[in-house]
Amino acid sequence: MTPKEREKLIRRIWIVITYVVLITFAFVYLMPFIRSLVASFMTWAQASRYPPEWIPNPFTLENYQKLFRLELFPRWIRNTALYAGLIVTGNVIFASMAGYAFARLKFPGRDAIFSALLSLLMIPMFVTLVPNYIIIYKLGLIDNIFGLSLLGLTNVSSIFLMRQYFMSLSNEIFEAARLDGCGPIKAFFYIALPLARPALGAVAVYQFLGSWNAFIGPLIFLRSPENFTLPVGLSFAFQRSMWTEYTPIIAGSLVASAPTIILFIVLNKYLIRGIVITGGKG
Amino acid sequence: MARVLLKNVTKKFGNVIAVNNLNLEIKDGEFMVLLGPSGCGKSTTLRMIAGLETPTEGEIWIGDQLVNDIDPTKRNVAMVFQSYALYPHMTVFGNIEFPLRMAGVPKQERIKKVKEVAEFLGIAELLNRKPSELSGGQQQRVALARALVREPQVFLLDEPLSNLDAKIRTQMRFELKKLLSYELGITTVYVTHDQVEAMTMADRIAVMNKGILQQVGTPDEIFYKPKNTFVATFVGSPPMNLIEGSIVEKEGKTLFETEYFSLQLPNDVPKAEKAILGFRPQHVEVSLAPREGYVKGNLLGVEKLGVENYGHIGYGRLEIVVRLPEEIRVTRGEIYWKPQENRIYIFDTKSKRTIYG
Repeated sequence: MTPKEREKLIRRIWIVITYVVLITFAFVYLMPFIRSLVASFMTWAQASRYPPEWIPNPFTLENYQKLFRLELFPRWIRNTALYAGLIVTGNVIFASMAGYAFARLKFPGRDAIFSALLSLLMIPMFVTLVPNYIIIYKLGLIDNIFGLSLLGLTNVSSIFLMRQYFMSLSNEIFEAARLDGCGPIKAFFYIALPLARPALGAVAVYQFLGSWNAFIGPLIFLRSPENFTLPVGLSFAFQRSMWTEYTPIIAGSLVASAPTIILFIVLNKYLIRGIVITGGKG
Repeated sequence: MARVLLKNVTKKFGNVIAVNNLNLEIKDGEFMVLLGPSGCGKSTTLRMIAGLETPTEGEIWIGDQLVNDIDPTKRNVAMVFQSYALYPHMTVFGNIEFPLRMAGVPKQERIKKVKEVAEFLGIAELLNRKPSELSGGQQQRVALARALVREPQVFLLDEPLSNLDAKIRTQMRFELKKLLSYELGITTVYVTHDQVEAMTMADRIAVMNKGILQQVGTPDEIFYKPKNTFVATFVGSPPMNLIEGSIVEKEGKTLFETEYFSLQLPNDVPKAEKAILGFRPQHVEVSLAPREGYVKGNLLGVEKLGVENYGHIGYGRLEIVVRLPEEIRVTRGEIYWKPQENRIYIFDTKSKRTIYG
């Protein structure tokens, strides 16, 4: 075997190994999803059998029918959309402004405040859950989508992402704008915001995914079924006192995740860019 | 249009003194070049005039107004950045229009002015393009147009040609000078580290090093009357030869003596135990045969630059560079040289200031 052929062979072996590893992991990660997809067409009796079966027998649409028979189902979708909409809007507005301030403006204590803010990332949400509850309760906004949204209108990771993005923009553009007569506010609207479209896209997508799938928050802050979001509503609808009907929940979850999956396929370049931004220059 | 006056201007960044007690007047309509190596404080000076940096001490006047506390948005100075800093999300039209929009100029007038300046700079057909669709030279023109459109009092340029390739650079060099000085007569401050740019464009040059102004003068003054060794070596290519030695009088002749050779100097040269002799490679007479008053040397090699060839002559650790006449074709071996008497400089060893020449 000539060295060239050997090199070729080694390269080929590497490619094979890489693919085997990637496919294995892809399979591991996809498994629950595939399982859900299959189970959503099974009866509960079959889906709960052990060892698990992979072919629906009998094939049934019953789970989906149950779902759409739920009177509150459209309402939950509306609620979830409203909640996600508020969260996305809030984050886009506040994170872009805060990120701009931290990246581009000079004010006393800026870096200290930013560090303090970043340290909030380390605090688990459960620590702040009770104080938040009390605040929303005192405001009289329990069982209210707006009250729930208030807590998520801005987010440290969104601010961080926007700040990193604004820092990555060339300083000279902002200086040029200043000489052209732009104060900091004009520079924000005319220069920073239009240039930040990719980062804003990433923030919007992340926040949409997070709020659309949120469970704990809505579970705790919402009480009446007509105010529920989809994830909470589904688990509420099919939880019986002694057992839970999982197959309709699975079907519901699939329906509920459809928008996020579509969003991901359409906008995944923004998501990836978001990761690149935060990992980039700082 | 206005003059710019810097009075005792100092800028410190922490412990680093970027600009040290600078006094400089740029006359109305003058093309002033700030020249120096990177980190010499020339860009900081420019940024202070623009208002992007605040001086730690001193006063900056534009026209008859003290501008220290005036925000850059209100100084009416325009700047062209090294990277051009065009707004990537706007078209060429949007870029040029932007300062007018910010100044609240009515739309009809804006359109008229943008078209005028675009015609003037020959970029009228590019108005609908985005900056990313332009070549370096075109971007440069757009940046100029954006700066010119609002008729600034002072025009600042920070190494505007350094991102262009050599050919366009030479062409733009003259175009810029023609435009700003001859056609518009705008007060211009131009920062560069390229001495050729400085020599070809400037009305006057201010040479800076380590935050300190070394010399201000016309290109001729800077070239022929350098005030110290820094200016002498920074301007001119290849740089001036500097040789340490002593100046003594022997048998009625003034001689410059080093450990390698001695050289006769004009009699009016002041005597000194230690001094630095300077002469430009272009101001040397060279011969292949020994001649009266010529110094013998060993040619190490020749750099050929087309019309001009430069020979390197070695003396132990010392190496001097001389321009070789075209008829001399050797590349190695013995050679004889002598600096032209009226083109030599003597510098003080300690202060590095010019004491003769």
